[in-house]
Amino acid sequence: MAMQMSESEGTVKVQEWQQTYYAGDSGIQSGATTVRDDDGSDYSTKKYTVTTTVIENPADVESQYALTRAQRVRAAMYPETVVEGMTILSTQTDLGQQTNVQRLAEPSQLLKTAIIHLINYQDDAELATRAIPELTKLLNDDDQLVVNKAAMIVNQLTRKDASRRVLMQSPQMVAAVVRTMQNTNDMETARCTASILHNLSHQREGLLAIFKSGGIPALVRMLSSPMESVLFYAITTLHNLLLHQEGAKMAVRLADGLQRMVPLLKKSNPKFLAITTDCLQLLSYGNQESKLIILANGGPEGLVHIMRNYNYEKLLWTTSRVLKVLSVCPSNKPAIVEAGGMQALGKHLTGSSQRLMQNCLWTLRNLSDAATKQDGLDGLLQVLVSQLGSDDVNMLTCATGILSNLTCNNSRNKALVTQSNGVEALIHAVLRAGEKEDVAEPAVCALRHLTSRHPDAELAQNAVRHHYGIPAIVKLLNQPFYWPVVKATVGLVRNLALCPDNQGPLRDAGAIPRLVNLLLKAHQDAQRHATSSTQQTYQDGVRMEEIVEGCTGALHIMARDPINRSEIASMQTIPLFVQLLYSPIENVKRVSAGVLCELALDKQSAEIIDAEGASAPLMELLHSSNEGIATYAAAVLFRISEDKNSDYRKRVSVELTHSLFKHDPVAWEMAHNTVSMEPGYGPEDLDVQYAPYGYAPEMPMNGAPIDGDMHDEYPQDMGFDTLHRPYNEY
Amino acid sequence: MNREEAPGKSPEEMYIQQKVRVLLMLKKMGSNLTQSEEAFLRNYAGVVHSQMSQLPQHPIDQGAEDVVMAFSRSETEDRRQ
Repeated sequence: MAMQMSESEGTVKVQEWQQTYYAGDSGIQSGATTVRDDDGSDYSTKKYTVTTTVIENPADVESQYALTRAQRVRAAMYPETVVEGMTILSTQTDLGQQTNVQRLAEPSQLLKTAIIHLINYQDDAELATRAIPELTKLLNDDDQLVVNKAAMIVNQLTRKDASRRVLMQSPQMVAAVVRTMQNTNDMETARCTASILHNLSHQREGLLAIFKSGGIPALVRMLSSPMESVLFYAITTLHNLLLHQEGAKMAVRLADGLQRMVPLLKKSNPKFLAITTDCLQLLSYGNQESKLIILANGGPEGLVHIMRNYNYEKLLWTTSRVLKVLSVCPSNKPAIVEAGGMQALGKHLTGSSQRLMQNCLWTLRNLSDAATKQDGLDGLLQVLVSQLGSDDVNMLTCATGILSNLTCNNSRNKALVTQSNGVEALIHAVLRAGEKEDVAEPAVCALRHLTSRHPDAELAQNAVRHHYGIPAIVKLLNQPFYWPVVKATVGLVRNLALCPDNQGPLRDAGAIPRLVNLLLKAHQDAQRHATSSTQQTYQDGVRMEEIVEGCTGALHIMARDPINRSEIASMQTIPLFVQLLYSPIENVKRVSAGVLCELALDKQSAEIIDAEGASAPLMELLHSSNEGIATYAAAVLFRISEDKNSDYRKRVSVELTHSLFKHDPVAWEMAHNTVSMEPGYGPEDLDVQYAPYGYAPEMPMNGAPIDGDMHDEYPQDMGFDTLHRPYNEY
Repeated sequence: MNREEAPGKSPEEMYIQQKVRVLLMLKKMGSNLTQSEEAFLRNYAGVVHSQMSQLPQHPIDQGAEDVVMAFSRSETEDRRQ
């Protein structure tokens, strides 16, 4: 439409111009050429002279038109054959309405061209067919000049479709080209032959011909060529083979293609590098051996170098895909991290290329568990925190996962994320995650990491409360249970409870009944499974023993608050905690001794603990090599013996001391030898009025001699509590 | 429990020493003490003073352990995105 408008305007302008001093038609619109008039004194422009002849007889007019019809058709189809200045009668009476001949002019031109092409195609094909045997022979000639010329001709032939098709149908020709390429010392011949194969590789038939002629090993060898053009042809041809030819990947691997390709990562042409990296991706995807070969040849360093130094989007994308493939290989992962992969990939999380950013995120996520000790990740961490505001579930999955791992056991990263408002961002991610466990679990884990074991942990614990995170977090303990999320959440609740100001909000959100119910359920599941088989029970990949430990640990810390302590005890939990003292799992012993230690601060609970027969297992736990366990056990024993009579307390003291000396026979012997026989050991409170010297001779019980025979009174496997409660081991 | 004490201490001295250590460890781990336990520590302030240097000097964090998550279980493929 625009062109028509401009054509109309142009015509008007020419007409206007014609009214000016230069009255002639330049032909710019009409196509007319300049014509000199008969006397040669003046010039005018004409393409054809339109002659209107007035004839009185209509039949004469018709015959005139018939005579010029052939001329009009020829002029339309073959304008190049019209003699200049020739007069052809035109039937156009209305300038706005084209004649049929005029309308058919262009289509007929196109048809003519197509026919010419067909004629040429046939010619090309016939020429190539006739020439192949001779050219093949010439390529095998001893004279390198002859070979070179033949290669050049064949290269020319491969540039035309018809002749190319004929060539690729000749196995002898393709084999000759391959042989020439790998045997020649002449650079130009090498270039020509590589170009031939490159041209053939654009069709499937050509790819098959190259493959069958042993082209792949030859092309791999060309990857060591000093000529850039040969390198380009070789890598591009191999790329086409890898993409479209079945069997090519195996053939390239067998020909040591990876070993030749990885060093090419040092080249500087971005487009060349894009093809090379795509080849590496095609070869290494799903093939562990290929990944190891890439590693052995310095692949991680080369790929990270590209990510760090180039801006060409396609190259960055292809390279990130190779890194993504390598990032699931346990051997490549640390090498990529050590080469600075985390930092290099992190550079591309804020650009405009969505596909590049997503690839980098997935790769970072895969690498993150190997990068917990990396330095220089401040920028990456800040970008990831900002990405927590995204609604894209893939981005959220990756950002939370990476943050979870990078904050694991890394104080610096924890502090940075906390100070960058990471707590608030993670809470929002948890709220938006809903039932998407791939987001919820890592987000909760990250919060768990931020809320303990670094100087700003308290800041993070308070931030969770300030940003209304506690109700949302406690809700994650509801059904339906997705156990990995539950496990992470009970750990987070434990950390939150370390902050005294969080104890009330946690209680108000209903954390205690949820934790107790989870504990009961997990314990029952574990018990049921323990009686039926020797296998540990897993649900969603989590052992129920881990849930028991986590819930008890959270209740232990929550029990530091007196109101919580009372609520926990009121839910009839003490018998279960006492039973857990018999667990074979050290962590379970520790947290159950810990919660009992807190509960025992209340006299009523202390009595219940004692009534449940906790003394026996606690006596055993005094011998634990874990000082935390032994400390809690001792504390509970002190607390449950406070209101007992003096005899009882003496027994406790003796057992404590006995236990304490159990692994120190020299000290025990020394203690025995220095005991005095002073009478008058009184029934007073042992703790407050115990004298530093003059240990009463009545200790141990009943005046028994203070020697090894005392052991008979207190069987080592039972202590002195007869309420031994057997515990089914996990 | 700390059993590496100089020989020659009586059992009651050992007992006090161990109990002081237990109570100090409880405090270090963030646990609460009863009033009588606090009084016991005040009574044996000298033992408290000597035991303080025997305690582990590093902080004993009561928080949950940090755990890495293994994400790289399988390749995700987006062949020609």
